[in-house]
This record gives sequence, C-alpha cells and structure tokens, in this order.
Amino acid sequence: MWKTILRRLLIMIPEVILLSVLVFLLAKAMPGDPFTGSINPKADPAQIKHLMEINGLNDPWYQQYWNWVVHLFHGNLGNSYQYQEPVTRLIEGRAGNTLWLAFFTMILTYAFALPLGVYAGRHEGKLPDTIIRFYTYVTFCIPVFVILVLGIWIFGYVLGWFPTTGSVSSDAQTWAQTVGSRFYHILLPSLLGALFGTVNIVQYLRSEVIDAKHSDYVRTARSKGVPSKDIYRHHIFRNSLLPIAAFAGYSITGLLNGSIFTETVFSYPGMGLLFVNSISYRDYTVITALVLIYGILNLVGTLLSDIILSIVDPRVRIE
Amino acid sequence: MNKKKLVLSAMAVLATVSLAACSSNSSSKSSGTGNGSSLKLSTSYNNTSATDKTADEKSTLKVAEANDSPFQGISDPVLASNAEDADVFAPGGGNSLFNVDKNYKIVDGGLANQRIDKKAKTVTITLRSNAKWSNGMDVTAKDIEYAYEVVANKNTTSQQYSSDFNAIKGMAAYHAGKAKTISGITYPDGEKGNKVVIHLTQVSPSMKFSGNSFIWGTVEPYEYIKNVPIAKLASSAQIRKDPIFIGPYKLDKVVEGESTTWSPNKYYYGKKAQIKHISINVVSSNNIVKAIQSKKYDITASGLGSTSYKQLKNVKGYAKTGQPALSYGYFGFNLGHFDTKTGKNVMDKNSKMANKNLRQAMMYALNLDQVYKKFGNGITWRANTLIPPIFQKYWDSSASGYKLNIKKANKLLDEAGYKKRNGSKWRSDPNGKKLVIHFGAMTGNSTSAAEYQDYLQQWHKVGLNVQFTGGKTMEMNSFYSTLQAPKQNKIDIYSAAWSVSSEPTPTQMYGEDATFNMGHFVSAKNTKLMKEMNSNKSWNDKYRTKVFKEWQNYMNEQAAYAPDNFAYGWSPVNHRVKGYDISPANTEFWSNMSLTSSKLQ
Repeated sequence: MWKTILRRLLIMIPEVILLSVLVFLLAKAMPGDPFTGSINPKADPAQIKHLMEINGLNDPWYQQYWNWVVHLFHGNLGNSYQYQEPVTRLIEGRAGNTLWLAFFTMILTYAFALPLGVYAGRHEGKLPDTIIRFYTYVTFCIPVFVILVLGIWIFGYVLGWFPTTGSVSSDAQTWAQTVGSRFYHILLPSLLGALFGTVNIVQYLRSEVIDAKHSDYVRTARSKGVPSKDIYRHHIFRNSLLPIAAFAGYSITGLLNGSIFTETVFSYPGMGLLFVNSISYRDYTVITALVLIYGILNLVGTLLSDIILSIVDPRVRIE
Repeated sequence: MNKKKLVLSAMAVLATVSLAACSSNSSSKSSGTGNGSSLKLSTSYNNTSATDKTADEKSTLKVAEANDSPFQGISDPVLASNAEDADVFAPGGGNSLFNVDKNYKIVDGGLANQRIDKKAKTVTITLRSNAKWSNGMDVTAKDIEYAYEVVANKNTTSQQYSSDFNAIKGMAAYHAGKAKTISGITYPDGEKGNKVVIHLTQVSPSMKFSGNSFIWGTVEPYEYIKNVPIAKLASSAQIRKDPIFIGPYKLDKVVEGESTTWSPNKYYYGKKAQIKHISINVVSSNNIVKAIQSKKYDITASGLGSTSYKQLKNVKGYAKTGQPALSYGYFGFNLGHFDTKTGKNVMDKNSKMANKNLRQAMMYALNLDQVYKKFGNGITWRANTLIPPIFQKYWDSSASGYKLNIKKANKLLDEAGYKKRNGSKWRSDPNGKKLVIHFGAMTGNSTSAAEYQDYLQQWHKVGLNVQFTGGKTMEMNSFYSTLQAPKQNKIDIYSAAWSVSSEPTPTQMYGEDATFNMGHFVSAKNTKLMKEMNSNKSWNDKYRTKVFKEWQNYMNEQAAYAPDNFAYGWSPVNHRVKGYDISPANTEFWSNMSLTSSKLQ
C-alpha cells in the first residue's frame, strides 16, 4: 500500500505542474492588470508603468512563469499587488478562518446526517423515512447561497441571534473572549451549511443500511437472538459507514470550495472571499497561489479517501 | 461596482474621504445654492438632546464601512490605494497636515500651516509646537519630508507619484534613484525642528488647495518606521498592526480585514475626543441596508448609494445626511488616438465621431432627467457640467448641460448631413455611408442595465444605429484595457465615471498629454483654459473661478466629453449621535461627536 501511495504522490507532481501552467496562462489571459484598474485622475500613468516594470509584469509569460516557479521553491509565492504583502502571509491569515469553518461544518454535517441516515434506513418506507427523505430532497434542491442569504436575514438581522459579519467581534479582549467570539461567528454559517448539506451522506447511509438489513450476517445475528439495538449498532452501522468514510476526503475539498459562497455572504474573511476579490482586482499572484492550493487539496482529498477506504475496509486494498 | 474601483487610488485621505477631515467650526450647512438634485440633504445632523456622559464613557460608537471585500489594512495614506483603508483608519486623523475650509482651501490651525512665496518659489510648512504622535513622539520636520521619500522612492509600492512632483527641485533625481536625498526640501531648524522649506521650479495657484499634485498633504512617523525599507513598508507591522497617528483617536486593535477599534489619543493637539470607544466594521454592501434597519450601526464611514437610500429613507431612528460626492459620471467620444512617440493625444478629423453636431445630437437625444428620476432616488441626478457641485465655487450652477430635446437632436443631425437614405430606418453619415455607432458600457447592476437600454432606445429614436460594443456590456477590466489602448476603434461613445481629488484642476483627465484623455480630445482653447486655471492671474480666486466656469461651458459646447450624473455620498446617522457633520470644513469631525444615549435609538 505504501508503494501505491508513493506512486500516487509521484503522479501528482506532473498534475500540479500542468495545473500551475494552465492557471498561470488563464490568469494572464484575463483582460486588464493589477494596476491599470485603479486609474484615477491623480494616478500618473508613468508611475503605473514603473510599477508594472519593477513587478516584472511586462516580461514574456514564460519568463514570468519561470520566475514564479523559482520563487515557489524558495517558499515565496510573491507579493499581492492589491494587499501589498507577501501572498504566503496573506493566505496564512485567511486559511485559519476557512479551515475552522470547514472543519466545524463537517463535524456538524456528520452529527446531523449519521443519525438521520441510520434512522431512515431502519424505518424504511415508514413515515420517519418519508419525512427524512423529503427533507434531504428539499435541502438538495435549494441552492446554497439562497439558504445562506435567508439564514443571515432571519437569524442575523430579524432575530439578531447571530453576528452577521466578520470572524471575530471587535470588542473581544481576552483570549477566552476571542475564542468564544470566533466560535460564535462560525456557528450560523456552519449550522446552515450542515443542515443543508446532508443529502449525500443521508442517502448513502440509508441505502447501505437497507442493503445490510437484508444481508446474511444480519439474518444470522437475528436468528442467534442478538437484540435489534445491538445489531444496528455493531453490525449494520459499522459496515454501512464504509462508503461514508471513503467520502470524507472528497467532502473536505467540497467544503473548501463551498467556502466561496459562505464567506461572501457572511463577509467572513477566508480564502474563498480572498479568491473572489483577487479575481476582480487581477491580483495574479494570489489567484495562482489559491488555485494551486485548492488543486493540491483536491488531489490530496482524493488520495485521502482512497487511503481511508483501504483502512476501514480490509477487503479493499489499493495496489 | 465600477465606480468603486475608480475610487481606488485616492490622492490623500482628505482628497477622498471627507470623514477624515478635521477642524473646529461645526455648524456648516449644506450648500445654499443647491446642487441640481431635487433632494436636499444636509451635511450635518443637528441633535439638540443633551450629551449623556455615561454613554460617552461606556458605550461604543459603531461605524459601518460598506464594502464587498475585507479592507487591505494599510494605515499609511501614501501607500494605501483605496478608500476603504482611509475610512477604517479615519479616527486617527489620516496623518493630515492641513486644515481646510468648505472649498478645500488650506487654512491655518491644523497640524501645520503653509505659506507660499510666489517670488522665491518656495512653500514653507510650519508645524504647531504641540504636534505629537499618538505614542508621545514629537512630529518633526523630517516627518514631513519623509512622506515625499515614500512617495517617490525608486522601490516604493506607492502609486501616488506623478510628474507634477518634478517641480520640486531634486525630486526627479531622487525618484530615478540618482540622489540619496531630495535636495529641494530643506530644514531651517534641522530635521528635529518644526519647519520645512520646499524649493520649486514653479508655483501654482492649485497649491492653495488640499489634494493638489505638488504639495503632499500628510506626514510619516519617520523615527517609528525608519528601520523598515520603503519597499517593505506596506507589509510592515508598524503600518499594519501597530500604526501610530496624529488625530483625536489612537488605534487599540485591528482585526485583519474586518475591524478597527479606537480610544482617545491623549497627545492630540486639538479638541479632546468625547466618546471613549469607536469601532469600525466592514459590512458587505449587500447587507448594509439590513444592518442599519436592525440598528447595528450608528453611522457609515463611506457614503452610500441610491439603491440603499430608497430602502432606508424611511427607516426609524436615523437622520439622513450627505453631500455631493467627489465624483461624476460622464460620456466620452472617441475622436482620435494617443501618439506614444510624442506622448500626446491627436484628434483625427476623419474619425466617426469627429462631427460636433453628431455628438451634441446624441446628448440631446438622451433623457437623463427621466432616467435619474426613476433610478436615482434623488441621490443621483443629471449632471450639467464636468465639475461636481461639491466645488461650490467652481461648479457652474447656471450651465444647462444636455436636457432631452429630440427636435434639436434631429435638426442638428439633418444640418450636418446625417440623413436617412434609400428608405432606411437608420441615418447614414454625410457621405452616404452606413453609420453604426458602438457604445462601450461597463457591466454593472440591474439598474445600470436598464439605464443603458434606455440610452440605446433614445438614440434609435433619432435614427442613429447605436449598438453595444461586442453586442453586450463589458467587464470593467476589459472596458478600460480597450479604451486605454493608444488607438482603438471598438468604442465610439462610452459611459464612465471619475472620482476626483479635492483640487479640481482637470488636466490629468483632459490634457493634451494625459493618457486618461481616453477620447483623445485636443483643442487649443481647451489647453489654454486649463493652463489658465493655474496661471499667475489665477492666484486671484475670482479670476480662477471665472476660468473654471468658462471651461465648463466650453466643454459642454464641444460635447467631446459630456456630463452624465452627479451623486450624493450619504450616510444614515442614528438619533443618539450628536455633533455629526461631514462638511470638509468640520475638521474636528471625530472629536465633535458625542452620544446622547447608551443604546442605539
């Protein structure tokens, strides 16, 4: 298995290189540049030209790409033109916010979806099952940004239960206050994300449970007189979890991608919002760095899913 | 959205955000002569309730900064390139050197006073004796000079250098990296003294106004930042995390991209701050209406637009204040090209839009009054000249601009030979060739889409075949990169906006060698009038005003650039706030505010 993982990691290298070239070219192909956009009667075009020059933006693309790669290997992703600080530091500041949000959303999603899935499977065809299925379909049908906007409006503004902007309150002074305030700020977006992102897990789990219910080992257990509660807990649940566990890797990357919506609606300064902003400002260094990071995360997520699957299910071995 | 980006690189804090201005007479009223809008907004909220001392002590003044992205966090006005940073660091006083009156004319009484010696061609800046930074350090002559170094350093990340600075002796050499110091800036009492003399090759009447392009209007804390290389200044902790200020408040904390919090600065030379805590939070512009309706904020730091006014004009507990913005929308016509060899704009006699009648007719065909009546909500209205009414003195209120007049439009076109031939529903050009005019417009919100459609309809009404460039509106970046090409024939007429400095000389936009003269309009009279604005005679304010008015009428008549709209920047003010006044003359904006209750009303 280690060999396979190694091989997978090696394959990722050309993939990442290809990705980086594509992203670099596409970013450069967009009309405009980081400085011309900020035209103003008092901004001297000569100074803008000068800034373009010292930032190497007038060089041919392959030279710019090469410079970028060389810097990359020195751990330097360049400077953001818009924010005027190193991209690494900029992303560092934002990544924490996004990861916390994604992580918490994931925990909540599983906390909602696992019981619902098992319950629906166990009571297949009965009223609770119908209600749960109806719920998952409805939440699946509504686009996520609609939910977010509705949520922030109802719970943030009308009822005033949750903060509506930022990642931490400006009043928080002590360490405990800061942590509490951060938690409070991600609560609403992650709750909404979790409540409306359960469909995949519930449906997978439900069908797995239904399958397992009719499988031989369950019938054997029943005939031995094992209590139904224990059958569900020890036999069915564990086996049904396999595909869900495999799914985990993908869902991490899914959450990171979804952060673009959540962060924009909640003015939550994370990587998703940064990405959206840097596109409109033509902040090339930030765009390429973020796409690269998201790309690598997707590749790693896939690999992670495969590894998890092989660990939880001894029958599966990736060779 | 498009305007937003235009507002980006601001000359100085004073130039963009009147909120950052600071001085003492607070009872200025909105302009007596009006500004052309049907809606009258006052610059101040006259709250007569008594100040509540405990509210000032315990409660926080909550300020919203409506913006779609986190702020960049560069507290230094030399390095910041957008209005958001200026807004969120405004209680620190924006490092402004000078106080101004309601016309942005520099007056005595601020951190420093300025004297211009026309004969010797020098400007002397003298700091007040009790000028201190918020950490207790003295403000020194070197602090004034260092701002020029940061602006002009060869490796600076600042976008503020302009060729006008070359009028300062030795500045060009320093900018090119050939000199270690700027020879034209001297210290009669030494670097630690309180006086700086700037030696110039020319002096200009514009120097009397804040936001001019010769004399920089802010200071840098030299001792505090001297160890950071200028190229790295914008990313340093001294500028981002623990910056120091000269204004009535000092920074307590900055949450990156989200918020800043403030408390009174005991070293401030002016009026003592009354409110003990101020917090400024970024609020997405999609949420700002809801945030005000649910009383989360007292005031907004940036001016809001017309859509939010419509939704908020009846909100309870808030007063509505505002003043005309330092910006205007305009139409431009493509009349030639930019000669990159000579660095000059050249008009092309044979260009499609070269005929003045055609341009005037296109403007008379538009029903801008109707459009802004429907969509402007009083916050945006039809402009009558290319100088916005915030410049009460220079703006020509009597200019008529372009009101709807279809008859006149048709007549102008007929006279010039743009006739419908061979039964076509469109007019052809005087030579009988088919005439298709391409309209360049930036993609905006649903309102701007409706406005553009109305323009096209009106032009079709007078028989002109006007189409969007490329069949649809353009994304902002591609719009400007098309327009800024030295020579282009994709856009014949375009709609855009300028945000302007608090010194209104328009040479950078309409001058012969200006790259921002994107329609390439050049005429001897235009050049002469703009030169005259800053000629020796123009030291006389009356004469200068006369020239500005003459220029406005000349530009209207030529219709190479035609006025589109003016707008208010407006802010809701909660009824518990007292002493609020955004007039530029109110230079103690932050200190004059107090609270009358500990909760928002």
